[in-house]
Amino acid sequence: MRKLDRLSIGGLVCLAVLVVFALGSLVGAGGEPDAIVGPRLQPPGPGWWLGTDNLGRSVLPRVMEGVGTTLLLSSVAVLVTAALSATFGIIAGYRGGYLNELVMRLVEVLYSFPAIVLAILVAAVLGPGQTAALASIVLVTIPLMTRLVRAAAVAVSQRDYVTSAVISGAGLPRVLGRHVLPNVAGTIAVQGTYALSVGIAVEGGLTFLGFGVQPPQASLGVLIQQGGTYMIAAPWLILGPGVVLVAAILAINVVGDGLRDRLEPRETRSLT
Amino acid sequence: MRLLMWWSGRALSSAATLLGVSVLIFTAVRLMPGGFAETVLGPFATAEQKAELATRYGLDQPVFMQYGHWLAAVAGGDFGISMISRQPVGAELLARLPVTGELTVLAVIASALAGVPLGVLTAVRSRPGGGGAAGRLLSGLGVSVPEFVLGSLVVFVFSRYALGLEVGTWVPFTRDPAANLATMVLPAAVLSVFAISVTARTTRDAVLGVLVEPYVTAAVGRGESPWFIVRHHILRNAATPVVTLLGTITAYLLGGALIVEHVFNLPGVGSYIVQAVGRRDYAVVQAGVLLAAAVFIVMNVLIDLLVGVLDPRLGVLAGRRS
Amino acid sequence: MSLLTVRNLMIDYAETRALDGADLEVAQGETVGLVGESGSGKSTLGSAVGRLLPRAARRSEGEVVVAGEPVFDLPADRLRHLRRKRLGFVFQDPIASLNPTMRVGDQLRLVLGRGADVGFHLGRVKLDDPRVVRSYPHQLSGGMAQRVAIAMAMATEPELLVADEPTAALDSQVREEVLNVVFSLAAAAGTSILWLSHDLPAVARRCDRVAVMYGGRVVETGPAREVLGHPAHPYTAALAGSAPAAAAHGVRLEPVPGRPPVLTGPSPGCAFAPRCPFAEERCEHERPQPVRVGDQDVLCHRAGEVAA
Repeated sequence: MRKLDRLSIGGLVCLAVLVVFALGSLVGAGGEPDAIVGPRLQPPGPGWWLGTDNLGRSVLPRVMEGVGTTLLLSSVAVLVTAALSATFGIIAGYRGGYLNELVMRLVEVLYSFPAIVLAILVAAVLGPGQTAALASIVLVTIPLMTRLVRAAAVAVSQRDYVTSAVISGAGLPRVLGRHVLPNVAGTIAVQGTYALSVGIAVEGGLTFLGFGVQPPQASLGVLIQQGGTYMIAAPWLILGPGVVLVAAILAINVVGDGLRDRLEPRETRSLT
Repeated sequence: MRLLMWWSGRALSSAATLLGVSVLIFTAVRLMPGGFAETVLGPFATAEQKAELATRYGLDQPVFMQYGHWLAAVAGGDFGISMISRQPVGAELLARLPVTGELTVLAVIASALAGVPLGVLTAVRSRPGGGGAAGRLLSGLGVSVPEFVLGSLVVFVFSRYALGLEVGTWVPFTRDPAANLATMVLPAAVLSVFAISVTARTTRDAVLGVLVEPYVTAAVGRGESPWFIVRHHILRNAATPVVTLLGTITAYLLGGALIVEHVFNLPGVGSYIVQAVGRRDYAVVQAGVLLAAAVFIVMNVLIDLLVGVLDPRLGVLAGRRS
Repeated sequence: MSLLTVRNLMIDYAETRALDGADLEVAQGETVGLVGESGSGKSTLGSAVGRLLPRAARRSEGEVVVAGEPVFDLPADRLRHLRRKRLGFVFQDPIASLNPTMRVGDQLRLVLGRGADVGFHLGRVKLDDPRVVRSYPHQLSGGMAQRVAIAMAMATEPELLVADEPTAALDSQVREEVLNVVFSLAAAAGTSILWLSHDLPAVARRCDRVAVMYGGRVVETGPAREVLGHPAHPYTAALAGSAPAAAAHGVRLEPVPGRPPVLTGPSPGCAFAPRCPFAEERCEHERPQPVRVGDQDVLCHRAGEVAA
């Protein structure tokens, strides 16, 4: 197997840094998110490296905390999506028949909603908050992943080693678990990373509109939304969390690309 | 004849999906906190108003009959009355549609004009082992900046510094086309960033896939020049995934328009929905979401038709095997 | 001067070596059959003639000279000119080698030029049915598609036509027709043919000369009849003995024992040594040099003794 290329390794490093940031906030590194440390709306400087907000709180620890919330929320959501998509996708792809039709029809209905719109609908039903954000991410990312897992499962189930396993009397769970799942795992991993970046963006958007994570809880979306009010006078309130958010999404996408290249490498030709 | 059959099949399938969507929305609205009467009429409704609502929406009847009433109303264009403005929702949506439409169309044009050539270029110049890191990073960046971040930044820059374009004002196209475009440029640009990047990446993947096909090797072997090959062999054969993507992008753009309209304060369908959710004006939310999903579904059917025409192997228009 | 000269060509992919010092010559107007099992390197050699290898391929040594021009050292525009004017290629999967979204007539017109008589060229390959012009490649049978490909390759009257297993994907009845078309067109235009195949007797029937490949090298070349009738290399002998078509009635077919090698670097000795009934000690670590035996050139330390 080829190594991940340098760009992807850079992405992983960036993610690691962000995780360290998030963990650091748990032990109070960088300061207290709620403590008032100085004058209000100060540009970045010693004592408050990302500036202070409208209450005089240092932005740095708030961003660190925000990273943690955002990453944790999205990761949990994507894990749920992965589990559900894997289950439905494999069953639909392997079994076929009316189960397949049912799953695909449901997925198609979900897929017809633009992501934010679906998220807003969920938030309207569940009420704004963390749960709504989590549920939105799950519902937004399930359709595509289920489709792709199902397609992979269909391809795998037609391979000879699966047929021979079935012929030699392997029970359904064994066939699914030992033969289909490992070969679909690659697709799940690659799509999972992309789903993670989508999830972060969706949570951010939903929260920015006011329907996701609510203050005093801080996710990066909350910080950007709050910063918007004072944007003209204090752009660092958006820049800090904004840059970190973009960096997180970019790093995840880059890692996803690297994973995909590694798991499905392509031959290239030149046109000369 | 074959075309008609295929198309009616697709139309039926899409109608079924749309029906499923309507069921989902209907259920969601029913589940919203506060009970239906209160959500539609607000917390200060009188008993009479509630009774009238109950009869009108058949709330004393079994659930699926209620659904039937609602569906019939919606199919007839009656989307209910906005709780806030006391106006028919349908009319308000119609009035705001041009703004969202203009925004989306501008972004789609930008994706096609900028994204496709960019994708072709980066594919033709790619090296094995994932070279062209700069290009990948740039398009990766484009895909990674959410509109609310970029939009906020753009609003900040153009509000703080006088750079010639104003933010937060809007002029209807019919009144003053030039001024209208001036107000739409920035929001459309913000909306396009993601779309252009995704288009470029998908085009790149599609072209790379075509580059290793035997007929391209055959063309190279005949001594055809790279641009000749791109023009005659690659574009048409890479078109299918790209055209399909433009359909998917529409869904994304509809959602992105929501945020962009909110940030730039444009009177479109998107900002309408956002305001409505905040004010618990659920008749509007219901109608807006249904509209968004319907547009996406219709777009996809049209895209499928286009793909069927473009790729003769799909046999929609082409004849049978001889 | 020979039309094609391949000299000590060594080509590697990431972890495998496809060509380990291959030599080949094709003269003007001559038909040469290049025979080898899969993995012998014949496709790589065929592609190398026009520098059509995938980007991952690396040439470590050797050269390819076509009509006096060094293929691997030419600038892009000269290379394209060479391909256009002097070379023609026909590939194994006929339908895949045609543009799937363009009608056959339009593709031919693209190659021939706008005013060309497409019907005439299709007639030359015995595709007289007027429906062919309007068809898409997937609507044709394999044999028809391959004839279109041949028409396109021969359209510019190349000096050398490289055909990489052109009949492998076709039914046996159609194979003879397609081969007839290739050889008659080539003869009429004075085009040399390099025919890549795994079928030694078939090749020997039609070609002037035969070259046999094993382990990335050309281990024997010579006049077709001689190579088939009196093989000088142990591998050729084994190949001739194991071919059903070449066997006399009642004679036992002997498959060649062992498996073809997958090289990861230059072969220290003779690549066939592990399977060779004539192998001696020096075959393991001394690379054979070309030896002349009768009319044939052979890469074998014991060449003279094998031809019996």
